[in-house]
Amino acid sequence: MIEFDNLAYSYRSGEYKALDHISLTIRQGDWVSIIGHNGSGKSTLVKILMGILEDYEGTIRVGGEVLNDENRAELRKRFAIVFQNPDNQFVGATVEDDVAFGLENNGVPREEMVRRTEAALEAVNMLSYRNHEPSRLSGGQKQRVAIASALAMAPDVLILDEATSMIDPEGRREVLDILQKIHGEGRTTLIYITHDLSEIEQSDHAVVMREGRIISKGTVEEIYQDTDALIASRLVLPFHMKVSKRLLGGEYMSYDELVKRL
Amino acid sequence: MLSKMLLGRYIPGSSIIHQLDPRAKILAVVMFMAIVFFANHWTGYGLLILFIITLTKMAGLSLRFLFNGLKLILILLLFTFFMHLFFTKGGTVLIDGGFFTIESEGVINGIYITIRLAMLVLITTIMTLTTSPLQLTDAIERICRPLKAIRVPVHEIALMMSISLRFIPTLMDETEKIIKAQSARGSTFMTGSLKSRLQALTPIFIPLFISSFKRAEELAIAMEVRGYQGEEGRTYYRVLNWQFRDTAALIMMIIFGIILWMIRQ
Ligand SMILES: Nc1ncnc2c1ncn2[C@@H]1O[C@H](COP(=O)(O)OP(=O)(O)O)[C@@H](O)[C@H]1O
Ligand SMILES: [Mg+2]
Repeated sequence: MIEFDNLAYSYRSGEYKALDHISLTIRQGDWVSIIGHNGSGKSTLVKILMGILEDYEGTIRVGGEVLNDENRAELRKRFAIVFQNPDNQFVGATVEDDVAFGLENNGVPREEMVRRTEAALEAVNMLSYRNHEPSRLSGGQKQRVAIASALAMAPDVLILDEATSMIDPEGRREVLDILQKIHGEGRTTLIYITHDLSEIEQSDHAVVMREGRIISKGTVEEIYQDTDALIASRLVLPFHMKVSKRLLGGEYMSYDELVKRL
Repeated sequence: MLSKMLLGRYIPGSSIIHQLDPRAKILAVVMFMAIVFFANHWTGYGLLILFIITLTKMAGLSLRFLFNGLKLILILLLFTFFMHLFFTKGGTVLIDGGFFTIESEGVINGIYITIRLAMLVLITTIMTLTTSPLQLTDAIERICRPLKAIRVPVHEIALMMSISLRFIPTLMDETEKIIKAQSARGSTFMTGSLKSRLQALTPIFIPLFISSFKRAEELAIAMEVRGYQGEEGRTYYRVLNWQFRDTAALIMMIIFGIILWMIRQ
């Protein structure tokens, strides 16, 4: 469980608060989506959680333990993150080297490292690409490898910060399918950050952010129906929800349900 | 032209030379650099050439392929040859052109030195053609490890090399994209005076430069969140496996050196 309590943060150069007193609880095993337009503070939130940004106001508790300078490095091991640009998070010269990088850093013995690297690549269907160079992969494949690199660390929490925003729709589908599988196993908490409302359907809870504040939170259904918040945060409803709003009075339904009803 | 260049390229394969430990290959090349200087007459030079031809065959490469790929180097070799031809004096005068003379020592020296240089270029090329850059990096790191005692940051340098290798294709792709974008806006860097061509390059390098900084920053964050804290407490995924054949290869190189030493005059 992760609890943010009254979290606030300003960048030195910024006049605004990048985060303006945010309180949020994320339960273990949940899939939580954080939605918001560019600049709404989503990345700032995870950067604080990952210990990349310090000097924030408020408290963060991870599994009941307050995050501080002493336990930061240790608690960080429970999180793994996939960033937006697949090219800039690839450290290894080959797929398997990249997946092993985090394990090497943590001093995992070699046999275990090989086992975990293979298992992680298998989980994202990339094992047959283990010797490939990253530059020869598609965007979706690169992000799947990035997910494998994260999974190899056996994190409690997997964070994806707009991980699908630079890849094609097919790659996006592949990534979401893999997340669905991980979520189904029930062990890993997923924090899925996006500015695309059509990507949150599979999540348990969603949070809408705007100008450093949380302006709406709830189930996906509740978010889709909170029209005011969506308009205020300039988010565009996915096409099938627009159709449902126009024709069926805005009752929430998934794409498949809508097709059935029509 | 550039795609034909072999210098620094790697061609995957499964020959015995490909399979040798990269450390063995580097050490053998270093030994060879000393050995070429043992040769001091025709038999010695003949043996050197024979040795390199055998290596080429063992690596599954063809001589013609090697020569085609090294044409640029040929210019350098010819230059060396002519320098010696004209400036080394001694022996009988073969040609007396008035303001210059070509003497027999010059011809012989020119040929010898050119062979030496050519053999060195060839053996290094055979090494890089049969060893992936990543393996070479690993090997250099292991071989240089003792230098840590005198505070050389061996691990960091090796990591830098492997990250550079990893980013070369990414930056090439990006350069291509920027060039296309600028061409679409009417930039031309294929025509015009040298000055105007260089000026046209500026809008390519500046975006490339800026994006590289952003990449570097993001990569550093990605490394940090994955627990990178330098060399301490690190384990290694890639291991080098020194086998009997690697020892054998080095012993053969030593024997070859001894033979050359014994037949010198
Ligand atoms: N390194 C930085 N320096 C100064 N201001 C920043 C920096 N990074 C982000 N900001 C500002 O903080 C706010 C939130 O940014 P961010 O968390 O990156 O938003 P999001 O990830 O939702 O797009 C924005 O107004 C942005 O301009
Ligand atoms: Mg962001």
